[in-house]
Amino acid sequence: MMSKISRTMELQDINYNKLDYVETASGNKVCRQTVLCGSQNIILQGKVIVQAEAIIRGDLANVKTGRYCIISKEAVLRPPYKKFSKGVAFFPLSIGDHVFIGERTLINAAQIGNYVHIGKNCVIGRRCILRDCCVIEDNTILAPETVVPPFSRYGGAPGVPVGDLPECQPDLMIDYTRSYYQHFQPTKLI
Amino acid sequence: MSYITGPDVVKYACTCGLLKPIPQLYFCKHCLQIRCRFCVCHEVDSIFCGKCSENIPSAEARVKKNRCANCFICPSCQQELSTRIASKGPANPDDAKSPIKKTYYLSCYFCRWSSRDVGIPDQPSATGGWPERENVHINRLQEVLDTYKQIMHSEKQQKESDKRKQRGKFVSYTDKTGVTASALRKRIGLPDIPHAMLKKPKPPEPAVAKAEVDELPESIFTEPIKLMEVTTIEQRLMQPECQPLTVDKLFPVHKQLSIKQSLRCRTCEHNVSKPEYNPNSVKFKIQLLAYCYIPEVRFVTVEPLRAGQTVELIIKFTNPTQYQTTITILDLDLDEQAQYVEEQKLIDLTQNLEQALSLQEKQPMSLPSLPYSSGSQPSSLLSLPRLPSVIVKPRKIFTETNCDVAIPESSFILPPRDDAAEYDDSSEVHNFEDDPKLIKWRKSNKAFVKLAVTPRADLKLGDEVVCGFTMQHIYTNVLPPAVENKQPQKYDHKVRVFLTLGKVVGSE
Repeated sequence: MMSKISRTMELQDINYNKLDYVETASGNKVCRQTVLCGSQNIILQGKVIVQAEAIIRGDLANVKTGRYCIISKEAVLRPPYKKFSKGVAFFPLSIGDHVFIGERTLINAAQIGNYVHIGKNCVIGRRCILRDCCVIEDNTILAPETVVPPFSRYGGAPGVPVGDLPECQPDLMIDYTRSYYQHFQPTKLI
Repeated sequence: MSYITGPDVVKYACTCGLLKPIPQLYFCKHCLQIRCRFCVCHEVDSIFCGKCSENIPSAEARVKKNRCANCFICPSCQQELSTRIASKGPANPDDAKSPIKKTYYLSCYFCRWSSRDVGIPDQPSATGGWPERENVHINRLQEVLDTYKQIMHSEKQQKESDKRKQRGKFVSYTDKTGVTASALRKRIGLPDIPHAMLKKPKPPEPAVAKAEVDELPESIFTEPIKLMEVTTIEQRLMQPECQPLTVDKLFPVHKQLSIKQSLRCRTCEHNVSKPEYNPNSVKFKIQLLAYCYIPEVRFVTVEPLRAGQTVELIIKFTNPTQYQTTITILDLDLDEQAQYVEEQKLIDLTQNLEQALSLQEKQPMSLPSLPYSSGSQPSSLLSLPRLPSVIVKPRKIFTETNCDVAIPESSFILPPRDDAAEYDDSSEVHNFEDDPKLIKWRKSNKAFVKLAVTPRADLKLGDEVVCGFTMQHIYTNVLPPAVENKQPQKYDHKVRVFLTLGKVVGSE
């Protein structure tokens, strides 16, 4: 799907089966084929899309996402833990606004800022902090407790900075997540 | 989105002749010109550590060699090191109440390297006091550095004294009488000592080339190499001062600092981008980005491209500004641009010539009559603390297009951006008289436009098709250039846009 986007620039409609998705009053679109553990601990702020076979582990700790987040197919959101002398403790996972999480990506971070783009097949290690406006390229493995500064682009395994982002990255991400949400439409039955 | 992941389909021509996607371009409000990163001045705005997100003053950063004092990276895999706690049990085992003694060590969560591996003792405090390794060559390096500093200083002095002589502002009596300090010294029989600052710096002891090198130890030939114990090139170059050969000599490395940049237009010296001081902030004090001022062109779709056949291309225009704009699509006309570049060059040349002439006229006059005038330097330059930067001249665009665009006869209006439109799905009423041949569809500040393009007939199968046009839009300047007229000023601004449409799939 990614290659298709880059080729055409303007997003094409992404159709889904209306019966497969639940739409809440605040505009969240959540697929029925997802695993949402401890749903009382999961907060989706509105206009969030959770696609098929995603897993959100709210049973471990609170998971909070901002507005206009896209959680792609088979992504796993799992709050991070920390080992103490008397066992382990889980910490909440907070995600900002306008965040895109690619397919089959595992998120174990403590904090993800606003306007973050995470590619597919990534592993975001335990207790990572992703500041606002960063891009994690496809197939990146971020080591635990990595801090990704704003306007940086990380890639590779282990993830290292591979470039900078333009100053208008927030606008680009807002535009992208908004148009993704607008183009994410149920298949029209004729 | 393709700005983040994919290839750049639509490119805009910068004033310097390079083609860039719009997020990488700036728009100087003062010159009304597009600038790219190559034609702006880059300045370090603030220095910070990417891990601890702390701002570090530039003086401190210089002393610390642009490295963070508290954060370390792994000498083995270059990932960030974490501080881990090791509790050593109570200090006094008999007394149950005695506090558990905590010690700290550094550990890499990626490759499992730890400061214990190389025998660095655990520290009692979490924040630091990590032992620094002494550089064995520090004295020699300091000596060489000092010498170069001295040379720099004396050269500066020399230059200044030369300048003073040339200007001849201050005519001292010794110059008139020929009695200088050194002549006086000679006359009264003292040895002639040149001024301390003018003294030739003493060169450091030169390095001596040696022909004899120590014999390689026997063990190198007899024992098998343990590759796991030998460091890699990267690991050695991470620590250039000691370049450890074996992994047991690796030491944690201080993390390199990052910077925030502010960018300045080289022509008018105004900032086009200035970030906020806080390292975590993604906001800007000044942000003159092309993305926020120039209508964005996006490629939507095109029919299969065949050489010599006219196909329909659909592109999307978005108005990012708060003001209505009118867009006119014009011919690309690279010749006109080239002509403009030539004209600019000519203007530049004549200006330079005039300046040179006026200087020649001025100089002999100013010297006797106005000894304290600033002389040759224009006053505008004197007021600036920095030296004027090299001004970027417009250059020719060398990109070739191989596809003709039928230029539409009419222009179209793009309404201003409305952030509230997102929440308001109800009314989409436009009273624009659109040419249905041109406008396919429009929504708030966006318009989908149909263009007829014809790839040239001589294109072969698989050739990349590039087309281009000039987009003229009305730019509304909100800057108050003159206080008396508060009306926002409108300008016709032209920008050349190039689209890579794809490959030819066949011929007619």
